[in-house]
Amino acid sequence: MIEQLSNSQMLSAHLGTIVGSEYVTIANGMIAVAPADTAQTAAVLRFANDNRLSVSPVGGGTKKGWGNPVNSKIALHTHRMNALLEHTWQDMTCTVQAGCTWSSMRKALARHGQFVALDPLWPDRGTVGGVMATNDSGALRLKYGGLRDLIIGMTVVLADGTVARTGGKVVKNVAGYDLHKLMIGAFGTLGLATEITFRLHSLSVSSQSFTIVSPMVEPLGCFLLQLLDSHLGAQSIQLRTVGDSFGLDIQLGALPEVIKGQSALLLEMSQRVKLSVEKASIEVWSNRDFFFADANGFTIKATMLPSDIARFTAIIHNLGGSAVTQATGMMTAFLPGGKEETILKLRQEFASSGGSLVVLQQPANADVDLWGLPPNSFPLMQKIKQQFDPNRILNPGRFLGGI
Amino acid sequence: MFSSAILAELISAVGADGIIVEKNQLQTYECDGLAALRTIPAAVMLPRSTTEVQAIVKICVRHQIPFVARGAGTGLSGGALPDAAGIVISFSRMTRILDVDIPNQRITVEPGVINNHVTQRVAPHGYFYAPDPSSQTVCTIGGNVAENSGGAHCLKYGFTTTHVLGLEVVLPTGELVSFGASTLDAPGYDLAGVFVGSEGTLGVATSVTLRIVKKPETVQVLLAAFDSIAAAGQTVSDIIAAAILPAAMEIMDRLSIHAAEASVHPNYPDAEALLLVEVDGSAIEVETQMQQVRSLCKTNGAWEDRLAQSERERMLVWKGRKAAFAAAGRIAPNYIVQDGVIPRTKLPVILEEISRMAEETGLLVSNVFHAGDGNLHPIVLYNASIPGQEEIAVDLSMRILHRCVDHGGSITGEHGVGKEKQQAMGYMYSEPDLDTMQRVRCAFDPQHIANPDKLFPRPRLCGEKTGPYQLHPLEREGTAEFF
Repeated sequence: MIEQLSNSQMLSAHLGTIVGSEYVTIANGMIAVAPADTAQTAAVLRFANDNRLSVSPVGGGTKKGWGNPVNSKIALHTHRMNALLEHTWQDMTCTVQAGCTWSSMRKALARHGQFVALDPLWPDRGTVGGVMATNDSGALRLKYGGLRDLIIGMTVVLADGTVARTGGKVVKNVAGYDLHKLMIGAFGTLGLATEITFRLHSLSVSSQSFTIVSPMVEPLGCFLLQLLDSHLGAQSIQLRTVGDSFGLDIQLGALPEVIKGQSALLLEMSQRVKLSVEKASIEVWSNRDFFFADANGFTIKATMLPSDIARFTAIIHNLGGSAVTQATGMMTAFLPGGKEETILKLRQEFASSGGSLVVLQQPANADVDLWGLPPNSFPLMQKIKQQFDPNRILNPGRFLGGI
Repeated sequence: MFSSAILAELISAVGADGIIVEKNQLQTYECDGLAALRTIPAAVMLPRSTTEVQAIVKICVRHQIPFVARGAGTGLSGGALPDAAGIVISFSRMTRILDVDIPNQRITVEPGVINNHVTQRVAPHGYFYAPDPSSQTVCTIGGNVAENSGGAHCLKYGFTTTHVLGLEVVLPTGELVSFGASTLDAPGYDLAGVFVGSEGTLGVATSVTLRIVKKPETVQVLLAAFDSIAAAGQTVSDIIAAAILPAAMEIMDRLSIHAAEASVHPNYPDAEALLLVEVDGSAIEVETQMQQVRSLCKTNGAWEDRLAQSERERMLVWKGRKAAFAAAGRIAPNYIVQDGVIPRTKLPVILEEISRMAEETGLLVSNVFHAGDGNLHPIVLYNASIPGQEEIAVDLSMRILHRCVDHGGSITGEHGVGKEKQQAMGYMYSEPDLDTMQRVRCAFDPQHIANPDKLFPRPRLCGEKTGPYQLHPLEREGTAEFF
């Protein structure tokens, strides 16, 4: 213990020379270090790599329970790298540091009526880097795509301290490999992004949300497909459980006169299938935020084809769970209780329909494989990890298949 | 030329009618759309199935034979240029549409399927495939995947990568794997994301699942004539600032207008600059936005605007734009099409610089560009029969790319790096950036047999270290020199 302590103190003293001693703390044998910029991040990682010390990047800490547990020696906090570095609003791009919270970025971009068109979980606390590393997305993905479509460049620090820039600051660019796409959703296992460049969209001049509630899920599932096949041009659509019933939420976002026309079309379409549309509050789009509050159940992210949304929503409902599924086929669901076999069976059902199930949160006494069976490309993923982080210092074991 | 033993292996993989080794037949494959670079390959393979592709690649792995996949050969950067000791895997026989799933807005195709055929297949259901490179009537989905092709409409709808959901890929090690899926966010690294646009250096796709898009209810194209490119460019900025996202915004200059007019007679006004703006969406949305666009054109001095509303009128307007490259042949016997990108706001500056640089060389440069996303297509016109003029043209086109990078842009927006721009990569990316890309390549292709000597500034082997220039092992042996 004494030896461990002195070792930690020695390490922290060295890390203090890189980032300043006031930005290094020790708690339970783990060293928390907060570099100020890319250069300091590179120096910290180089030092960790040379000494084979494992490192876990930490942003707002909102998703630190996602993925397999890791006992890293160093927690690399990004909170000092929290600036919006550049907002070239005429070109509709921005570059932001990884530790900036999503809300801060959003607020700054809104001054010019623009935004990164993504609605992640807990934007007040979640950081840009954390959202990127976990590839989080919300219902806006239907209209604007996911992070893969919104991120156009990145500065990444690799495990050995190499600083690499990928992509650029223009939306259209096919020069070289899109390394940033590898980083998105990699849970910080390939490198630590310190700066991210986004393409931006204009904020909708006005928006209006609607909900259709029904005790039967099938008519809502059919209507969801009809909406996708229509010219309505909805910004977001999601199907969710509402107590004993189900709700289909639709958000329109455009110029007021356009929304008027869209609303009339929506009303006409719903009347044709005898469904009743009501205006809804904006809060319906934050429903999935609450699926993480209860630690005694499983919170999952599942994917499916749009035509399977109603069926899987019904399955979750019949299991006593709650679910929100975007029209893109991305489901967040909560299943109370702790039956591991239920999750495994569900995972099989999603897989047999071409989808997947990842457990984001499970009860303390449960031990379900969070990621499920790796795909046939897994050996290649291991080789990529080997190339980027041969000493396995970055979040070792946290990702799929123990990468 | 391969040994008889290797030839026998290749024949056993695809049958005697699936291989070309006759020199006069091989000449068909000696270049792609960048005809200035030509190399006759040792053999061309014409597989019919994924199994046959895999068998070919396994033979290449065993004997360390370089290979390059080829679709229609329309690429403009020499990406499909063969290696003299290598194999071309042509996808001209893998042209099947494997699955169409309209409710889920997906289609799965073999790589040899022509881009436009995807739209034709789903059009009766009211859908289309959005990426629309100018060569869309002949170029293939496999080639589009390799180059991450864009087109005029990617301003609103995104590039090929936006539309690729899943891929079946034969890796350069011979393994058959799946990247992505029909559903989003398959667990694991986004291998589909890094594969699209990798220019054939990370493997060969044998089937591709694509997202299709609902055809908009209304489409209108406005053609506005201006007295200067700067005025047309300013209009583009104003349209974006007004929170309008058109499906496409294109600018053509006087030279390219004349060339297009002479070539396909689209009846364009005789102007210094033409701006094409296509707006699509619901009828009311299009009506509202087009009114704003017309007003902004007027504010910036447009002296004529024409609204193409019927399908026929729209097609004619686009025909002129899409024929712009080929039409350049009416102005000069030879030309180089470049593909630099700049932040949109730098448009007036770069156009002035291009004009000045062209003047200094005595060459003409016509400009056609995707103005909405800052993707320039300067066409450097020259006459190869005049000694030294080709070199001047090549030098000018590369200097234009350098200026694009200086302005914070890119050396290529949609044509790819290929063979043509590999040296310019060093201008855009530093050594550590390139070495990091190289790590990906080494994970996929440790033997460097998948389209080698493309994309990167100089040949590298897995395991080479960052740092000052080091001699390549072949250089050290004295068997090769690199320039």
